[in-house]
Amino acid sequence: MDLLIDSFISAIMLAASLDAELFSIVAVSLKVSGSSTVLASIIGVPFGFVVAFESFKGKRFLITCLNTLLALPTVVIGLFVYAFISRRGIFGPLDLLYTQGAIIIGQTILIVPVVATFTISAISRIDDRYRKTAMTLGANRLQTAMVIIREARFGIMAAIIAAFGRVIAEVGISMMLGGNAKGFTRTMTTAMALEYDKGEFVLAVALGIILLCISFGVNMLFHFFQGRTEE
Amino acid sequence: MTLYSASGIKKIYNGKTVLDLNSLEIEQGNIYTLLGPNGAGKTTLLRILAFLDPPTKGTISFRGKDVRFSETSLQPLRKKVVMINQRPILFTTTVYKNIEFGLKVRKLPPKKREHIIKEALGMVGIQHLAHAPAHRLSGGETQRVALARAFALSPEVLLCDEPTSSVDLENQSAVINILKQVNEQKQITIIFTTHDRLQAAALATRTMFLDHGKQSAAAGENIFTADLKEGTGDSSLCMIQNMVELNMPVRKTGKVRLFVDPEKINIINKPGKNCAHGKVVQVSEEKERIRITVDTGVFFTLLMTVEKYRGTNLLVGDQIYLHIPPEAIQVQDI
Repeated sequence: MDLLIDSFISAIMLAASLDAELFSIVAVSLKVSGSSTVLASIIGVPFGFVVAFESFKGKRFLITCLNTLLALPTVVIGLFVYAFISRRGIFGPLDLLYTQGAIIIGQTILIVPVVATFTISAISRIDDRYRKTAMTLGANRLQTAMVIIREARFGIMAAIIAAFGRVIAEVGISMMLGGNAKGFTRTMTTAMALEYDKGEFVLAVALGIILLCISFGVNMLFHFFQGRTEE
Repeated sequence: MTLYSASGIKKIYNGKTVLDLNSLEIEQGNIYTLLGPNGAGKTTLLRILAFLDPPTKGTISFRGKDVRFSETSLQPLRKKVVMINQRPILFTTTVYKNIEFGLKVRKLPPKKREHIIKEALGMVGIQHLAHAPAHRLSGGETQRVALARAFALSPEVLLCDEPTSSVDLENQSAVINILKQVNEQKQITIIFTTHDRLQAAALATRTMFLDHGKQSAAAGENIFTADLKEGTGDSSLCMIQNMVELNMPVRKTGKVRLFVDPEKINIINKPGKNCAHGKVVQVSEEKERIRITVDTGVFFTLLMTVEKYRGTNLLVGDQIYLHIPPEAIQVQDI
């Protein structure tokens, strides 16, 4: 118990002293997680919208597959992407392995299903009268789609925030594809794992506190947008 | 000028025919009412006329041109016709932006949009709500915004699905007056559905009655589900809700839909064949005619001219006999 309390106090002091190493790790984490969230949103939101809005054969099966992908372990994605970007993989010449780009690719694959399924759910909850109203007021398909996206905006925002929450806390992909290189691919979670291995708890606890604060902020935002959706 | 002309229109959902019209003609500038019970196919017909749903079978022409129910062909037609839902929904933004939506779609310049929105808001008397959040309005206000949103587009046809069903009495008369005013001032053809016969009579130039998806000549009065039993000779006995027994000059048995023409029912002094005894429970005026409701265990409505009514000296509470001649009865299979 003393160890935890001592580590906690030291961690608070470390964070308060604006330690350069600590903030470099946080910055890398935010950069790769932010980039993968943006990419996943660009892919997942339109994809989710089309799945929710259009009727086609195999729609239920596709949604079931997306739901299954929500439970995909990060190490499986790590292995899968590794097979493509390692020296012997088809994208080997691009030299992506152990770069931030590799982490971003892996994390994007991880959260596209999250963004897509939450978007499907947000769009499906929108009253069909919005579509009919837009159509009868003369809107074309694209304008009607924009009306629905606008009405589902809080739900879609919640999808994006949930996806960010998922990647900021993942460790498997960052470790396997990033390699935990100091100052370059070392994220909060990989640094915590390393510090734990070394038996150095101060930095690990400090990073844990920051990660918890970020997660708390993300969840506050998530609930804010969910609340607006239910209004 | 004929605006809509339709023939052989059918709409089938999951194998069930919900609308089956032989022909339909809508003239420009008139107000039409679609009367009928729930599930009669009124909303289905409105959605077809609004070019939102294609009919399963049949053809429709608009202003003499055949309508092709493909997305590209319907797009320009939808800009001429606006439908207002029974419970209209407003976009979660301001009232002003709700009305502006259709004008933006039509690519009108901002100055012109502003002028039209002000005029539309003035028409429905809610100028003060222009910048209010639309989703916080009351039912009556929402209905008015929906009307303003439609008027702003100056459509050729306005289709209203029970425009007064979700508003209070005060707002009901306001909505009716607004529709009348728009029809007179802008010559917009209005087609609206209602359950309320008095409302239909007050507003419409023409009334159509739909029942089980079919147009009925009976105008929504005296419609009963009845049991036909074998009678003597070539006739059948008809029991309406086990209360009124009528002799029908047809040989048929089983459940049928019965329409009794309210203008062909006679008032007599003595009991006789095809007669029902009852009490006058309501007398009202309706477009220069008198409507009398008689409770015989089953409610019958009679319609007669003012002159004829004066000759009867009928008052509410009077006990009378109704004679229902065979020619007043139409039978439809269920």
